Amino acid sequence: MIGLKFLYLLGFMVATAVFGLIVGWVDRKLSARVQFRVGPPFLQNFNDFFKLMGKETILVRNGIHWLFITAPLAAFGMLVLISTMIWTALILHRGFGGDLIVVMYLMMIYSVALVLGGASTGNVYSSIGAGREIKLLLGDELVFIMICLVPVIQSNYTLRLDQIITHQAENGMVIGSVSGAIAFVLGLLCIQAKMALPPFHIPEAETELVEGPLMEYSGPLLAFWKLNHHMMYVAYPLLLVLLFFGGFKLQGIDILWAVLKYLLIVVLMILIKNTNPRVRIDTALNFFWRIAAPLGLAAVLLAVLGV
Amino acid sequence: MATNPYIALILIPILVGLFNLVLPGLLKKILTFLGMALTGFLTLMLALDPDFFEWIFEVPYFGLDNLGTFALAGTQLLAFIILIFTLKGVDKRIEKSFFVLYPLTVGFCNGVILSDHMIAFMVFWGLSGVMLYLFNLLGRSKDAPESARKTFMLIGGSDACLILGFVMLGFAIPQPSWFITDINVDLTGSAAIVSFISLLIAALAKAGGFPLHTWVPSYAKEAPVESVALLPASLDKILGIFLLARIVTQLFQCPLLIHMVLISIGAVTVIAAVMMALVQHNGRELLGYHAVSQVGYMIIGVGSGSPIAFAGGLFHLINNAIYKSNLFLVLGSVEKQTGTNELDDLGGLGKNMPITLVMALIGAFSISGIPPFNGFFSKWLIYHGLLDMAREATAGYEIWLLACFILAIFGSALTLASFLKYLHTIFLGKRPKKYDKIREAPANQWLSTGLLSVLCVIFGLFALEIPLPKLILPILEENGMGSFDYGLYKSKLIFTMMGVGFVIGWIIYLLIRKVRLDDVYLGGMDALEKFRVTGTEFYQEIRRMKPLSTIYDWVEKKWLDLYALLGGASNTIARLFQKAHPGLLSLYLFYIVLGMLVLMFIRN
Repeated sequence: MIGLKFLYLLGFMVATAVFGLIVGWVDRKLSARVQFRVGPPFLQNFNDFFKLMGKETILVRNGIHWLFITAPLAAFGMLVLISTMIWTALILHRGFGGDLIVVMYLMMIYSVALVLGGASTGNVYSSIGAGREIKLLLGDELVFIMICLVPVIQSNYTLRLDQIITHQAENGMVIGSVSGAIAFVLGLLCIQAKMALPPFHIPEAETELVEGPLMEYSGPLLAFWKLNHHMMYVAYPLLLVLLFFGGFKLQGIDILWAVLKYLLIVVLMILIKNTNPRVRIDTALNFFWRIAAPLGLAAVLLAVLGV
Repeated sequence: MATNPYIALILIPILVGLFNLVLPGLLKKILTFLGMALTGFLTLMLALDPDFFEWIFEVPYFGLDNLGTFALAGTQLLAFIILIFTLKGVDKRIEKSFFVLYPLTVGFCNGVILSDHMIAFMVFWGLSGVMLYLFNLLGRSKDAPESARKTFMLIGGSDACLILGFVMLGFAIPQPSWFITDINVDLTGSAAIVSFISLLIAALAKAGGFPLHTWVPSYAKEAPVESVALLPASLDKILGIFLLARIVTQLFQCPLLIHMVLISIGAVTVIAAVMMALVQHNGRELLGYHAVSQVGYMIIGVGSGSPIAFAGGLFHLINNAIYKSNLFLVLGSVEKQTGTNELDDLGGLGKNMPITLVMALIGAFSISGIPPFNGFFSKWLIYHGLLDMAREATAGYEIWLLACFILAIFGSALTLASFLKYLHTIFLGKRPKKYDKIREAPANQWLSTGLLSVLCVIFGLFALEIPLPKLILPILEENGMGSFDYGLYKSKLIFTMMGVGFVIGWIIYLLIRKVRLDDVYLGGMDALEKFRVTGTEFYQEIRRMKPLSTIYDWVEKKWLDLYALLGGASNTIARLFQKAHPGLLSLYLFYIVLGMLVLMFIRN
């Protein structure tokens, strides 16, 4: 039994990684088209990844080396795990080790790893970026809790990912309701912030903080951070598909639907990314706590009332 | 064969003598006096009534049920592990008094847990509060006496509430009884309600629930750090929640509304305290506020009345005692090496104190509820309990419960944020020059914190094998709360599977790495100390955000501190009385006449 789970994990790990790098190409190509450029060839992300793998790793002399190395790898382990949890629920309609609350808490590990790894170097830019990363997490987490509650309430308080899908298969997608639609839009913004994509690329802010927490990373470790980012491009939109679009079936014409559902979210994210400038961290906090959170609460109320 | 109780008359003086060999002057005298008084009293009673011993030993003053076993196990475990920490490194000037107070504290706490008789319960409860005061006086800073007074006022005041509660309980029950486990009343009628509220205040003040929590941070800042790990972080939590569990499961039959109120108190405690923790600049105060915040989860769990949340609340109690004392002791180690606990002065110590850093990481992950550590498991049970209740509730209660649920989970994210700041300020970032020569803490200290960290991991991974079935589920059975389904969370699987990705990553890294060492890159600038980011300023945006800034200002002006408020109120009243006594004879005569008139009016 544990051997089977092990196989799932390895399979989904490779699938998520490869799939993520491909979606990374979609992202770059689409962004290039938006900016009237040609964009990179299909395999560019793979080339980048393997090239970084061959580079040397530079460790900071006074930094805490073990923490610096462990951080991207721990984030990688977490992403492999949650993508497996989401894939298993989506494709095999089974639970894998944990429910929605476990997934929500596991997702925080990415920020933890980013902060600890970045700040372990003693670089001042990394420290500032780390501080912003936590604040951003605080901002989106409040809203994220609320939007996760909406599908849970609608499927009669089950927290299991597979049962949320089953319930939607029987009663229609969550996004079909008013509360579900509001929650989906907010969820999209939360994902955007969790992945630190523009307009929420505040922690990494290339032009002022020079990649913030990632500044001292190089070689294979940087490759892992990049890979993590690409894997998030798979895992997080799929979580939204699961929560709001009722998952998907992989038979016949449904495959097309599955791809469309996923692509819809990704394309929306890329378009938001390409059309918005970076906001300041206090603006982001204000947005999430003052505007998005009341809306999220309204969605929860509507869900309770069955709308 | 039963022990012959007469041996007490021989043993007491001998023990007193033995103790006096090692005790300092004043205590010798006190102990001797008490020993003599006790033997004298026993002799006197024996002379009056030959069956006295039989009476004293047969009346079941003390008893132990499953809840008691759980609390007792927690107390002994924590007291033992913290003792390892104190073996080396307690401030020399306070060492003697410290080791007198330490066993006494443990004894009194055991007394509270074992006492079935109300009077014994109140006596031990009060004595354990006195211990807090004495420990606090051992603090070396000039604010220690003030903080000790504050602690004593709040805890002592809550003791008065405890007594009132037990007295009122006497009016609420049909047949008077001194034994706590005999009592079970419906929460109807004014006597029962007054009694319930009084006992609740006592329990919340001891555990540090909102709004009676203000003594915890100030105690944490001023008292010796070992005593902070022992009392507010673990034993006081155990006592307070122990009483709360007794109140809601055994003493009273609570209606749903009361459970909802308790859940709300818990949720507010979680959020209010953690928001305060975010902006602290002192490590001890920061941990003190978290000690308060975590109580919120226990109040939610134990007070909710849902079996799964009740189990989660008690589990969180023991988990919190473990990781919170771990965190305080880790800070103690840092403090003893560097001589400060001001977060602004610390930084970058992770390189010098790697073992301590690992312990701090485990403690921080546990308290923030990162799977698969123990804090997550108990919080997860509590969340499930809340959602289970919401499923059954009517729409109004449903929304209320969901609001508390959101606050509780968000509190956990805030805790994580606060602890990332805490870790950053002490262990990460740039290290100030003056700390270049700091060394790792002595072995006994990291052995103690290490044991606690190992417990964090074990309780997280094997929760379903060790703590829940052995200690907590028997309590539920005893109170007839029935069984429940665990939802889907397999901590061991999560741990292994996260480990797989992690190990694969490591293997890839080790196979292909080519390592070079270099200095930090700041785009050509020198890494000067004036550019250092300590981390204490991380949450300035939140501090300045409206309307939170107003609330923070109020708290800083102590407008929300119950102790300061009561102090202010009593001062005002005293000043009014002062003004009424100017020393004029004619005015006093007027008072007398006025009093006479009032008396005559009442008599008519």
